[in-house]
Amino acid sequence: MFFPTQFPWAKDQTLGEHLEASGVSRRDFLEFCGQMAVLIGLTEMAAPRVAAALEGVKRPVVIWIQLQECTGCVESVLRSADPSIGELILNIVSLDYSHTLMAASGTAAEDALHASMKANMGEYLLVVTGSVPLAEDGMYTVIGGRTAKEILIEAAAGAKAVIGVGACAHWGSVQAAKPNPTGAVGIAEIIKDKPVVHLAGCPPIAETVTATLVHYLTFGGLPELDGDGRPRFAYGARIHDQCSRRANFDAGQYVEVFDDEAARKGWCLYKVGCKGPETFSPCPIFMWNMKTSWPIGAGHPCIGCTERGFWDTMTPFYDRLPNVAGIGIERTADTIGAALAVGTIAGVAAHATATTVHQIRSRKKAAAAAEGGHDGQD
Amino acid sequence: MTTSTPRHGPAPPPFADSPLFPLGRHSAPPSGDYRWVSPWGGPLRFTHWVAFLTITVLVITGFFINRPYFLTTGGPPQYLMGYIRLAHFIAAGLLVAAGLIRFYWLFAGNQFERLPALFPIRWRDWVNLWKQVKYYLMLEGDHGIYYIGHNPLQQLSYTFTYVIAIVMVISGFAMYGQASPGGLWYSLTQPMVLAVGGIQIVRLTHHLCTWWFIIFPIMHIYLVLRKDITEHGGGLSGIFSGGHYIKADIQYVDE
Repeated sequence: MFFPTQFPWAKDQTLGEHLEASGVSRRDFLEFCGQMAVLIGLTEMAAPRVAAALEGVKRPVVIWIQLQECTGCVESVLRSADPSIGELILNIVSLDYSHTLMAASGTAAEDALHASMKANMGEYLLVVTGSVPLAEDGMYTVIGGRTAKEILIEAAAGAKAVIGVGACAHWGSVQAAKPNPTGAVGIAEIIKDKPVVHLAGCPPIAETVTATLVHYLTFGGLPELDGDGRPRFAYGARIHDQCSRRANFDAGQYVEVFDDEAARKGWCLYKVGCKGPETFSPCPIFMWNMKTSWPIGAGHPCIGCTERGFWDTMTPFYDRLPNVAGIGIERTADTIGAALAVGTIAGVAAHATATTVHQIRSRKKAAAAAEGGHDGQD
Repeated sequence: MTTSTPRHGPAPPPFADSPLFPLGRHSAPPSGDYRWVSPWGGPLRFTHWVAFLTITVLVITGFFINRPYFLTTGGPPQYLMGYIRLAHFIAAGLLVAAGLIRFYWLFAGNQFERLPALFPIRWRDWVNLWKQVKYYLMLEGDHGIYYIGHNPLQQLSYTFTYVIAIVMVISGFAMYGQASPGGLWYSLTQPMVLAVGGIQIVRLTHHLCTWWFIIFPIMHIYLVLRKDITEHGGGLSGIFSGGHYIKADIQYVDE
């Protein structure tokens, strides 16, 4: 619909026919299918099966709405590893509405959205980026005169399934961090009657989006999810357990400060606050920007952006544990613990001293009482 | 001063005259008749010492895991963190096993070890709790309230320690389970992890609660020593022998 290409995917054309018309070789297509099969948890041997399923797929309708967000997720998705085919799947072939990417604007764009929703009622796939602000009746995000909540409810009503892309759609992300002035919530707080899959991350890796779509097209349904609504093929293991620096962790070799000798050797970033041990993400495997690198690979500790509430619970980003909110000042867990322990020792010492004094007095009193005639007056 | 009543009771603790313990030199010597009671069964003593050893290992290795305070440098590759985590997990498993024995003994033990002995359940116990606090503040009385087993203050503090230990076990296994999503520990703990707001909250809780196992022993050991010195019951060795001396001419609250 937008990104007009030489070879638009005609409505009744299958994907196979469309790719052939677009000049994509069979070899490239099978290679792409093999990569996708691996990403969604199959073996590369399943590539022909994925290819067969994808080839027969009629043009799916995807509507991509963007609510309270920074468009970083769209930026990330545009950097899909294999732009020639991934882009075809994601950006060219399927999107009926995406206000960042589409050429139309204003009323024309809104008309396109409504026309597509009406024509494909109950059949389209809804992709959502951004959170839903609920404070002040949702006035913090208004598009085309309607609040984010209204837009989401209307779009979700006719959707076959909903894919939330990014931390905002997942739980609210930075705008939902304390004190959450806009009352931002994730889309699952609004959509209760539809399957919602969350591609967590701030932003998520493009391949998780592509692979989820491929899974949807291949199997006609959403992938298996973990307890927080994330696909297990991508978010099924901790960064820590897949990390290229894990050997340094186990060996007790850590970066103490940035730019020290250990940092130059590429040792583990655990002590400078890496949240790899608490973060489920495919970063070490999928990597970023066409497999160029990833945060830990580039020498920066993971900040845990695929986890719910990470702005509040994963901070400070350069320390292991969250701070404990105190009275007017924040203290680390160990400061509090050590203060209590020292206080206990001091208390015990004071008490032992007081007991000794008390015992001496009691004995003096007893002695005075035993001597009789003499008046006890100490 | 010292009464002329012959001593039948235990000898004062060996450290009572030590210059390191001024409290020992100034407390009254034992007097009157004593008799021997044996409230602490074998399983209770066994689990106490398993808990002591494993918690010691757990605290030391736990702080290392949070912030590795010594490092392998140079030489051939080591497996330092790996072994320390292994020690932590083995100690945790042993502590849980000891906890299960203690749980069983809540129903199979004697009156001082059973479930009701964990809480001040009667009105008189709450009254005595207040009296015991006033005694410790040196506001009232020359001796603690006479209980053969745990006095109400002990009951509350030991039961609180059990509760903290359970929090440690649940939060610990929640973190342990993160390594294999879908596994037993992960499945059992993940709803709790999400309910409290994420694994970092669990980790912080685990870390903060660790400090209780540093603070509690300081008070515990002090109060045991203090009672031994001022009241001469030999309670310190009771956790080895199972018994201690009580005064023969006094009615104990929980007798």
